[in-house]
Amino acid sequence: MTDHPKNRLLRPESLTALVISIVAIGFLFPTSKLRSISALLPAAMLIGLIVLGVILVVIDQRKASRGEAAAAMTKAPKRVAGAFLLILGYALATDFIGFYVSTAITIPLVAFAFGYRNPLGLAVATVIVVGTIWMIFDFGMSQDFPTGRLWGR
Amino acid sequence: MYSDLLHALPNVLEWANFAAVIIGVIAGIVVGAMPGLSATMAISVLVPFTFGLEPLVALGLMAGIYNGAMYGGAIPAVLLRIPGTPAAVATTFDGYPMAQKGEGGFALQVAVISSAIGGIASAFALMLLAPPLSKVTLLFGPSEVFWVAVFGLASIIFLLGGNPVKGLISAFFGVFVSVIGSDPIYGNDRFTFGQLEILDGIHIVILLVGLYALPPVIDLLETPLKTGVDNSKLGTESIWKALPRMKGYWKTWFRGSAIGIWIGILPGAGGSMAAFMSYNEARRSSTNPDAWGEGEPEGVAAAEVANNADTASALIPALTLGIPGTAVAAVMLGGLLVHGLQPGPMLFRENPDIVFGFMWQFLFGAILLVLLGGSLATNSFAHLLNLPRPLLGSVIIVLMLIGVYSIHGRMFDVYLMLGFGAIGWVMDRLKFPLPPVVLGLILGGFAEENLRLALRIGRGDPMILFQNTTSLILVVLTIAVIIGPTLKKRFINSRKTA
Repeated sequence: MTDHPKNRLLRPESLTALVISIVAIGFLFPTSKLRSISALLPAAMLIGLIVLGVILVVIDQRKASRGEAAAAMTKAPKRVAGAFLLILGYALATDFIGFYVSTAITIPLVAFAFGYRNPLGLAVATVIVVGTIWMIFDFGMSQDFPTGRLWGR
Repeated sequence: MYSDLLHALPNVLEWANFAAVIIGVIAGIVVGAMPGLSATMAISVLVPFTFGLEPLVALGLMAGIYNGAMYGGAIPAVLLRIPGTPAAVATTFDGYPMAQKGEGGFALQVAVISSAIGGIASAFALMLLAPPLSKVTLLFGPSEVFWVAVFGLASIIFLLGGNPVKGLISAFFGVFVSVIGSDPIYGNDRFTFGQLEILDGIHIVILLVGLYALPPVIDLLETPLKTGVDNSKLGTESIWKALPRMKGYWKTWFRGSAIGIWIGILPGAGGSMAAFMSYNEARRSSTNPDAWGEGEPEGVAAAEVANNADTASALIPALTLGIPGTAVAAVMLGGLLVHGLQPGPMLFRENPDIVFGFMWQFLFGAILLVLLGGSLATNSFAHLLNLPRPLLGSVIIVLMLIGVYSIHGRMFDVYLMLGFGAIGWVMDRLKFPLPPVVLGLILGGFAEENLRLALRIGRGDPMILFQNTTSLILVVLTIAVIIGPTLKKRFINSRKTA
């Protein structure tokens, strides 16, 4: 995701457009097994996506040949990757070890990892958020949250 | 027609429904005041929490948030020159210089009064224009409804500006997502790959939260913005004492309201354009245009009245035709669908209490802005700018997970939301517009159902789609929307070269 990739096809916009076209082609196979009337709209959309993806690649490659720099996806790729990983990690942790434990760990962990390092503030925020969620959803609305597949519940 | 409007009033005044508007306005101001958060994101996160609520409570919260956020965006725009919402960019032009001169408090008071006036005008426009338009749309059959859906999609793709190829990709993606699940007529699976969780299709809330809430959270964590507001320099006084200083702005308020309402009705335009147009027009007619940009309070009034006048009016095409004028309106359509309220002509016939109640809630939300955004509150809201962004980001992540999980009580939806979030982040960074995705999802199923119904009526003959005047008008309008921007561009270029 750099600004000036050596391979022109690795420019973010070209790469995205290629992925769009390839994924759309992949979805066309199950479309062929549908009744024609059921397949009408999805096939039209998928073919449209393939064509538009190709057009987008052509437009972006023409920009590249003119020497125009590719639009940067992010100035801080590590932070973005870290944020995505932490969010995915939180979802997995909720699924496998349970909602309350994961939430009590995630709130201070994310805030700490991204620059808020006040221990008292972290502790107070965690207690307030987890407590409020428990009060409103568990106690007030009887909403069940995942208790963790690892514990067999 | 308008008697339904009066009948809906007592319902709105019930304490739970009214309290929802108050809470919504406060929450909206908070969200709007936080740079990086928006009304669209707030409503996306809110929608799943409203499942168990009465429709008017849920809609009251949404109306309040929308109104509140539009004003809230002015707080960082004035104090930090960072617009809290995109619609508040024009507010920075004179708001920030005013704050530099120690008049930040007055700038915010001008902003709150102007926002309230714009919101009130917009709510009245919604009340007056939506009911007659809904009567017209009741006459539509399947082929007209199909063309309305196509027109709606075309409008949001081509009038939104930017790259039409990207707009089309967004819309096609949205429509494709709408067909995932069981075929509505034959019942066979489409693209479910054996996953029972998506047999009924992909719930709109999962898409909304993924597309609109996850990318701003990543932004919050990506760029730690250091903010610091010294409230002692705000120079706030009672809002009632400040009012006489604004008596000369009525022309600006009137003009800005008209511009905001008009822009709101047009699909794809939005509050930023309304604010810029109003600002430019007010400056053009000012007796002292040189003072603008240096701290002219009327500049704040012009921008804020217009970006709030765009709020309820954006719902005129959304509620009557199912075509949202802005991204927030698209998300609100999702909120209506969650409560079983299908936007479009039948909404006014089947649920008059709710739809007219919603209009009243917009009006009360705008009025409440003055009371809730007054001087004392403004000082408090200004403190919000000092909240640590990483902490805020982590709390929003938790709320997103709770909201999506509680739809069906399963983690599958959370993973799906994260997938849409990743797609939304890439789209956002590469400037693919997001509203066409939501509109594609909303209108896709609607369009397919009516297209198939029309074809059945016409025994498979596609000419049935072109056999009446209304359909032909809609086809012409769709073509005009598609080729209009290109023609306009060519016309401007030819004038430049001439």
